[in-house]
Amino acid sequence: MDWSSVFGGAALIPLLNAAIRLAIPTGLAAVGESFCQRAGVLNLSLEGMMLSGALTSYLGAYYSGSLWVGVPAGIGGGLLVGVLMALFTLQFKTEQVINGIVLVLLAQAGTSFTFEKLFGDLTLTGRFEPMGNWKIPGLASIPGVGTVLFDQSPLVYLSVVLIWGIWYLLNRTTFGLAVRAVGDKPAAADAAGISVYRTRWLAILISGAMAGLGGVVLVIGQLGMFMQNVTAGRGWVAIALVIFGRWRPLRVMAGALLFGLTDAIQLRIQAASGGIESDVPFELFQAMPYLVTIAVVVFASARARKSGEPEALGRPFFKGAQI
Amino acid sequence: MIAKTDLRKEFELPALARWMLAVFGALATGGILLALVGANPIDAYIEMVQGTFGSMFDLSLVLTEMIPLVIIGLGLVIAFRARIWNIGAEGQFMFGALVGGAFALHVPIGSPFLAIPIVLVVGAASGALWGALVAVARVRWQVNEVISSLLLNYVALFIFAYAVRKPLRDPGGFQPTSERIPDQFVLADVPVDQIRVHIGIIFALLLVPLVSFLVNRSPFGLRATMFGMNPEAAQAAGVHTSRMTVRIMLLSGAFAGLAGIIQVMGSELRLSNNMSTGFGFTAIVVALISRLRPIGVVVAAALLGALTLGGDVIQRTQQVPRVLTMVIQAIFVLFLLLADRRKDR
Amino acid sequence: MTESATAPGSFSFVLSGSASDSPTAEQTDSVDAVSMVGICKSFGSLVALHGADFQLRRGEIHALLGENGAGKSTLMNILYGLEERDQGEVRIDGVPVSFSTPQDAVVKGLGMVHQHFKLVPRLTVIENVLLGDRRSRGFRLPDLAVAAKELEELADSYGLPISATDQVSGLSVGEQQRVEILRSLYFGAKTLILDEPTASLTPLEVNQLLDKLRGLADTGTSIIIITHHLDEVMESADRVTVLRSGLNVRTTAAAETNQVELAKLMVGRDVGILTQKNAIRGEPLGEFFEQDNSPVLRLYEVAASSHSPLEAAAGDAKRGLFDVNLEVRSGEIVAIAGVEGNGQNELEDVLSGFLQVEQGEFSIDEKDCRTYLPSELLKLGLGYIPSDRYRRGLIGDLSVAANVSYDRISEYPIGTRFKVNSKEMMRRGGQAVEEFSIAVGDAGDLAGTLSGGNAQRVVIARALAKELRLLVAAQPTRGLDVGAIEFIWGLLDKQRSQGLATLLITTDLDEVMALADRVYVMYRGRLTEVPADRDLIGLAMGGSISEVGHSIDA
Repeated sequence: MDWSSVFGGAALIPLLNAAIRLAIPTGLAAVGESFCQRAGVLNLSLEGMMLSGALTSYLGAYYSGSLWVGVPAGIGGGLLVGVLMALFTLQFKTEQVINGIVLVLLAQAGTSFTFEKLFGDLTLTGRFEPMGNWKIPGLASIPGVGTVLFDQSPLVYLSVVLIWGIWYLLNRTTFGLAVRAVGDKPAAADAAGISVYRTRWLAILISGAMAGLGGVVLVIGQLGMFMQNVTAGRGWVAIALVIFGRWRPLRVMAGALLFGLTDAIQLRIQAASGGIESDVPFELFQAMPYLVTIAVVVFASARARKSGEPEALGRPFFKGAQI
Repeated sequence: MIAKTDLRKEFELPALARWMLAVFGALATGGILLALVGANPIDAYIEMVQGTFGSMFDLSLVLTEMIPLVIIGLGLVIAFRARIWNIGAEGQFMFGALVGGAFALHVPIGSPFLAIPIVLVVGAASGALWGALVAVARVRWQVNEVISSLLLNYVALFIFAYAVRKPLRDPGGFQPTSERIPDQFVLADVPVDQIRVHIGIIFALLLVPLVSFLVNRSPFGLRATMFGMNPEAAQAAGVHTSRMTVRIMLLSGAFAGLAGIIQVMGSELRLSNNMSTGFGFTAIVVALISRLRPIGVVVAAALLGALTLGGDVIQRTQQVPRVLTMVIQAIFVLFLLLADRRKDR
Repeated sequence: MTESATAPGSFSFVLSGSASDSPTAEQTDSVDAVSMVGICKSFGSLVALHGADFQLRRGEIHALLGENGAGKSTLMNILYGLEERDQGEVRIDGVPVSFSTPQDAVVKGLGMVHQHFKLVPRLTVIENVLLGDRRSRGFRLPDLAVAAKELEELADSYGLPISATDQVSGLSVGEQQRVEILRSLYFGAKTLILDEPTASLTPLEVNQLLDKLRGLADTGTSIIIITHHLDEVMESADRVTVLRSGLNVRTTAAAETNQVELAKLMVGRDVGILTQKNAIRGEPLGEFFEQDNSPVLRLYEVAASSHSPLEAAAGDAKRGLFDVNLEVRSGEIVAIAGVEGNGQNELEDVLSGFLQVEQGEFSIDEKDCRTYLPSELLKLGLGYIPSDRYRRGLIGDLSVAANVSYDRISEYPIGTRFKVNSKEMMRRGGQAVEEFSIAVGDAGDLAGTLSGGNAQRVVIARALAKELRLLVAAQPTRGLDVGAIEFIWGLLDKQRSQGLATLLITTDLDEVMALADRVYVMYRGRLTEVPADRDLIGLAMGGSISEVGHSIDA
């Protein structure tokens, strides 16, 4: 196996470029999740939201023939799971952990069912060319940095803007202030005339939209296809990254970049290893992004305990409660 | 007298009625989906029942499908009662199968009376080990068990994939699988006419009263329930919470690992990447549907086992993707959750 | 100006309104700021108010007095829009009103400071204020630095200075209360309702607060204080309304009554409890000292700190215990008095095994307990009555019977290592229900359905069911009614006379005076032994330890 194709100097720029690209789907979901958790909702349905968004964006793009139609379609798919999550968590107040897990299972089964019914089997039917890159004039020609940052899919640029938007929403707007209050001490927010339910509903939906968009970027921006469980646990990784980023959107995104880099490296190793008869234990490298995620969560939790965790995270709010 | 469920005897019937209502709701929703994709729901359900309980052969398949679901499900009931959300059973199942299977492939033990118990213990211990990682992360570093257990699934699956592709690979095989395990490690079928189920079903059913006693009547089970209901009060009452967490994850992982090695010894007879059809996840649904009662686990496993195999039937006869049955399972749980809904004061 | 007459005014309006826009003489004399007539309210079968009246004059401080359950809070919750009345009429400035939310009440110039503050600890002062501000409900937050400065100016103009950019979690209880009051004033409140405002203040802070309130009243703000502290009423209020069992028994000028009369009106009988309290307190039992002079509990130069997530986030200075020395012997009740938040929680956590000692020695019967967990301490004979009874003392989803015995389920005869004897558990549960007069239909009922007093009886029944060496009782009677308090005090006293060593952590001075053989005061994580004298304890609670020392010398 040729290790220079993975780590060699010439490979570095494309590697970093790929790291950013691969970080975006997980990063979108993770940043949306951090927003939702700041409102006090532990949304474990994230993987389901991403998967649902991935399927609907695929269907939107496939049937319309336009990749851009896939964008709103995918956001809609994420919102669909978001509505269910909000219904059970806020209206019925059932155990948030269970709601999330069951909705992931529902989304996994539901997307497979829909896709298989429409396309016969779960193999690579209906593949299309993913969205091409936009080189930003001027900036893209800066040596090194230009290629890494400014030769990306337009969806990547859109995502970066949205991730910054979430940060802005949380820290610079009245709605964000309400979100932070509702996640830390809902009874106080309620007493101040803020609707805990409305705020949490919106937070869950925002998380659904962001995760749905994560599915869009994966399908429209990278793969050009859908398959069973195409998100491969990225939603769960995203939840872990929220802990790593201590519930701050930009730090969470930094964690996603780390995940993207690990993913880019393992993909290269896999490609360079030479297939099924290879002596390289590439499966162990495939496990690397998950192991790295576990490691960073352990590191972050061990170092800072629960600091930054919203006080009311995971607890249902009952109107009239004192806490 | 101990747990909430015991105290609500007078509500038992409505609870059962609600449960039935949820079954009906889930099947009705499934029926609507069937109609939407152009199948006849009534015919489909009749075929599913015939295809699963219609003959002894089909029934045997359902029973075989139930074995891993019951065993994993029981382990999850223990964990979920303590509100330790172990969703890593899939990984614990695969890891137990892998280590137990490797042991069977490479350690020569002649007598089945020795070989089988030893390998069962090895498989269970491996699953327990995989589960204990989650407990240690939670106890030492406050890592949420939902995330760590889920992510460890992927790690276990990739290790398994590597093992059967390289070190354990059957050199004669086309697919990446191991060789067949030696005969003395194979679980025999139960000695009942026409029923073709390996004796794993007996292990599974024997575990039911054991777990039932454990969770309902033993101090350990009551402490686990207390821990789940109010961890701080449990601790103040002398529950050693970190020890409790580790023990519960060890147990829960051991059950999944045991299910994994039994699946290898009774059904698969070799290690292969697709030996699990997501048993670890279906067992989560089993545990939730059982309302965390060991007896309920048997009922739920029978129901979901039949549903899964029924999915194969309608795939053949109605051209409906078999994964529909998994949609129905998830909807079933959602309907059951509706019964738990809570209101503002 | 027209807008600010209905909605809470802009800054400039509030600022000018504070001093110069005091109500005209005509309004002051003719129309009450608040008038409530014939208010009825019931919760299910429980009648909280049946036809209560209440009148608040402009610019007065009016004390609303009554025991727990007399209906004071319900009456004020109705005024503030937190509850809806069943019957009766509410007028503000003579105009009939009907509020369905507190926000409606705020618009009409009401403000309420709850006993448990409604502040978000992790937000700053200005963020907390903006949170409830209907005027800043645009999309963008206003510039926080500018808003903070405006708030500080307003605060100064009322003589309630505050640093608006501080995080609330870092403020003292008194400062948080100031933020609450300021927030109401900022929203244009002309009438303030304060629910038990002195409950968690030191005597010094209480005096300061009452001064500030007087100042506010003098500039035209009308103030209602909900309380059961008679001395404060006499000190600060212009008028008093006494509620009992959902009815007002008397409204009178404070100058025309006295504490004894008010106490009688509150309780509805001759005031037994005041005299009884002192009767409970006994002398240390000499015989136990002679038999066994070594302390059961011993803390020597103990330091410990708990870093809650909040404190860590706020980057607070270290909180906790410093150089704590304490001994408790058989047959005595040692009280730890002090204002909440001075380290009592940490002390409680150390003694119950929830928090590890960082320095110093901690032993029970000379056994080193520094690293012990709750389970190990229980085995040494610790009985524990936690201050947060719902969080640490009770499992609501289990039966009352299980709650009485759940810490001994593997001890014969309730159980063995392998099996719990649920029949025995039920039997003992039934026994406890009788012995401790727990008001519950059946010992098999869920503990979550119990009221506060009955819940606490269950907690105590469990703690006392074993052979104990040491009892740690934290806030054992907080929030309970008189009957339950008398019962619990009686139990603690009985245990003492049987030779138990008891550590009583309490913020209730009456409790200290009623029970304690020796008294320590906790202030900023340090303990000082103080003679059992109300005034000296009060001084020490505010940190005036040198004065106490002086008094002891004298």
